[in-house]
Amino acid sequence: MNDYLIPVLLIVLAPVIGGLVYGFERIVKARMQRRIGPPLLQPFYDFLKLADKRQMMVHSTHAFLGIMHFVSLWFALAVLLLGGDLILVIFLHLLSTALLILAGYSTRSIFSHLGANRMAISVLAYEPVLIIIAVSIFMINGSFDTALVFAGNEPLLYKMPLAFIALLLVLPIKLKKSPFDVAEAHQEITGGVELEFSGLFFEAVYTAKWLDYIFCYTLVFLFAGSNILLGLGLMAFTFLYLNALDNSSARVNYKQMLRFSLGVAFTLAFINLIINSLL
Amino acid sequence: MNFYLTGLYFLPLIVGGILLIAPAKISRPLVILSSLLLSVLALLVFFSVSEPVYFSVPHYVSQLVAGADVLMLMYFLWVALQRKSLLVGILSVVQLAGLLYILKNLSGGETLQFMVDRLSTFMFLLINIISGIIAVFTLRYIDEEECSAFRKKFFMALLFWFIGAMNLVVSADNLEYFFLFFELTTLASFLFIGFRKDAVSVQNAITALWMNQLGGIAILAAIFFIMYNGYGEITFTNLLAHTGADGLLLPLALLSIAALIKGAQLPFSKWLLGAMVAPTPVSALLHSSTMVKIAPFIILRLSPAIKDTPVAMVIVGLTGFVFIASAISALSQDNFKRILAHSTIALLALMIMMGAIGTPVTIVAALVLVLFHGISKCMLFLNAGILERVFHLKQSSDMDRLSESGPFTALVMTIGFMSLLLPPFGAFIGKWLSIETLGALATEKKLLGALVLVAVAGGGAVLSLLYFKVMGLLINRTGEKDQLRFENTGPYYSATIYILLGLVLITVAGLPLLLTYYFAPVAAAVHGSPVPVLNEGWNLFIGTMRIPLLPMLIAFFLLPVTILLAMFIRFRHADRAKEYMCGEKINYSFSSFYFSTDRAIPYFSAAGILFFIALIAVALI
Repeated sequence: MNDYLIPVLLIVLAPVIGGLVYGFERIVKARMQRRIGPPLLQPFYDFLKLADKRQMMVHSTHAFLGIMHFVSLWFALAVLLLGGDLILVIFLHLLSTALLILAGYSTRSIFSHLGANRMAISVLAYEPVLIIIAVSIFMINGSFDTALVFAGNEPLLYKMPLAFIALLLVLPIKLKKSPFDVAEAHQEITGGVELEFSGLFFEAVYTAKWLDYIFCYTLVFLFAGSNILLGLGLMAFTFLYLNALDNSSARVNYKQMLRFSLGVAFTLAFINLIINSLL
Repeated sequence: MNFYLTGLYFLPLIVGGILLIAPAKISRPLVILSSLLLSVLALLVFFSVSEPVYFSVPHYVSQLVAGADVLMLMYFLWVALQRKSLLVGILSVVQLAGLLYILKNLSGGETLQFMVDRLSTFMFLLINIISGIIAVFTLRYIDEEECSAFRKKFFMALLFWFIGAMNLVVSADNLEYFFLFFELTTLASFLFIGFRKDAVSVQNAITALWMNQLGGIAILAAIFFIMYNGYGEITFTNLLAHTGADGLLLPLALLSIAALIKGAQLPFSKWLLGAMVAPTPVSALLHSSTMVKIAPFIILRLSPAIKDTPVAMVIVGLTGFVFIASAISALSQDNFKRILAHSTIALLALMIMMGAIGTPVTIVAALVLVLFHGISKCMLFLNAGILERVFHLKQSSDMDRLSESGPFTALVMTIGFMSLLLPPFGAFIGKWLSIETLGALATEKKLLGALVLVAVAGGGAVLSLLYFKVMGLLINRTGEKDQLRFENTGPYYSATIYILLGLVLITVAGLPLLLTYYFAPVAAAVHGSPVPVLNEGWNLFIGTMRIPLLPMLIAFFLLPVTILLAMFIRFRHADRAKEYMCGEKINYSFSSFYFSTDRAIPYFSAAGILFFIALIAVALI
């Protein structure tokens, strides 16, 4: 039973932890810019403020899909943390993103549509890398089960360093960080898919982003296996790297993003896979 | 010979004949009745045949078959002359020469020409039920076609003859007979594709003809090599009895090539894509229940012989490549039917791959994909027909606001796409089984396994994106019209769609039962040893493979149910806001994005050709 305690706690508290990560991220980012930044709990204050707003929506289909994006993302995260099949996890995650894309398409709002299109392209950019990582893990462990990865003695990092670099390269796409934040791009398309959500409905999309943090950092943690210290180190490193990158780079357009991720990140992961399968 | 079986062969032929001359008043009830009867017959045959049934036909029928072969090839020659197609002409001459040579050297002994086993009965069910539904749909569709009354009758007759030819293809044991029926389906699809008689139709019909003729030549060459190597009878049974014998790899490779061509695998995908010019029921027929399904059928029939051979490995590599290549090509498509066609090619690749690997689990996966793909694609194509005829839509980018003008059609199409993509629908189970078993392959053939895994998983991701793109158009609406009123598309259209919808829902609800009592016995017959399917607690075991049912069930509520609910749910207590338009007052028209992947297609074809060369090469070595 003890084996399940930590994952279940993590799953239940995922939105809270994700919110804290987000709050901390805003502080770190601000300090990098020599600002003080908001308090740590600012995301939760925002959360409470949004809950109090008048409920507005474009239509119910759109609002409902936003909520279900949050729920299905949570489910994908749960399967990942409980040691489920990695391909299933990636697929469920893809589908939860697809629900948000669908929400974007369901309205007749230009910015929503632009955002949904760009989000679909982002998925095309990072998904192949995730799949290759999953297959590489399979070639090493002989199974897609993440439970085996969490229990593995030798960290995956040593066996697939290139895949880890590839993951680092695509994580900004996934988390919509600069330079790969075309899907959100507030200055260009006013937030993309998020634009048409408001109040309680926006809450769902907003907290789903926190869940995505947990999801991504768990993926990073996978590379450390059962070595918790290494795992925490990797997560801390990734955290600093993402924020430094976000602060110091300008947005590229979607073509450049796609070319970079499929040309560089995909190739790196692919080379790693070939090495893994030949050894 | 089984009485029901006789019905399956002769009923379509006779009905087709009557339809050619009967007035419309008679043909409507006749089509509905005979479709029903064919379905019932197929069911009866499925339940009455558990052991393979062998039967032969009298000697004069053999001569009749030989005569028909020659006659058909003569017709191809005539087509070549009429259309001035050198390619078709040469291929016909080669076929004719090969056939005459084989007929001359055929040992005169009494052989059993037909074999009906569980795989055949499995195919009967698919062929007769789905094609029957399409026939009923066609009654209305062809009425609105702009052509002479006789050609309308001819179309209906051809449809039934096609069903008859398909029933024969899946029961032929003798390869010479198999060749005839194989080429009969080629002939039927040639006539179907060229039905509209405009320049494009004729051109595409010729393409379909010569490509499939190549398949025919491959079969003839296979027969030649079996005889040349002295294995006597040219039957599937004999071929399988000599599994692993010297010199049989080449015939197996050749038969696989015939299958790959029928299955429109690269570089032969052009004929299936070109078939779109025909009336939509033709596409439905070719894609779901007939024609292309010959491909997985041949591979499944041969799977005990080709598995673990280099030929199988090349096929796995080729189909893995085709899967991702056609998924990528599909991204650049806007024509709704072409999107469906690309996804058919991708899924066929998966079926063929699973058949070629040939473990019990992969055979189950292949069968699951064959059946569920058949039902879903049929539903989608018939809807494409409705879109064309009722809503006058052909491009997917024009389909926005369909959820306002035709909510029912939009709903059914959404379900159709979901049934190809999401858990717990059969197509998802098939893909899931594929990925998990490819893992088993990857532990032996590491590099190949890894590459194919990436191809299948990556292709799957690309395809899901594509389906969601189309679903996005289907779900698009303004906030002004919240009232849903289902449109009326007329009795023939709506009845067929309701039946298919029912089939989709029943088969998904009964999937655990179907796996145990329907797919597992068939797979056992194909594989030659029992395939245990166990239902324990929340897990379904197929052999050693475990399908966790609980995540499937949760995923079912999170994904398909969510999307359906999203179309119907209405929040009452939220205020409405207009979409943000930067203060502009313009009515935008919405389209969808696509990627220009066209440039890659020549490379894809070239790679496909290389695979085909490799296929022959490994068989020769």
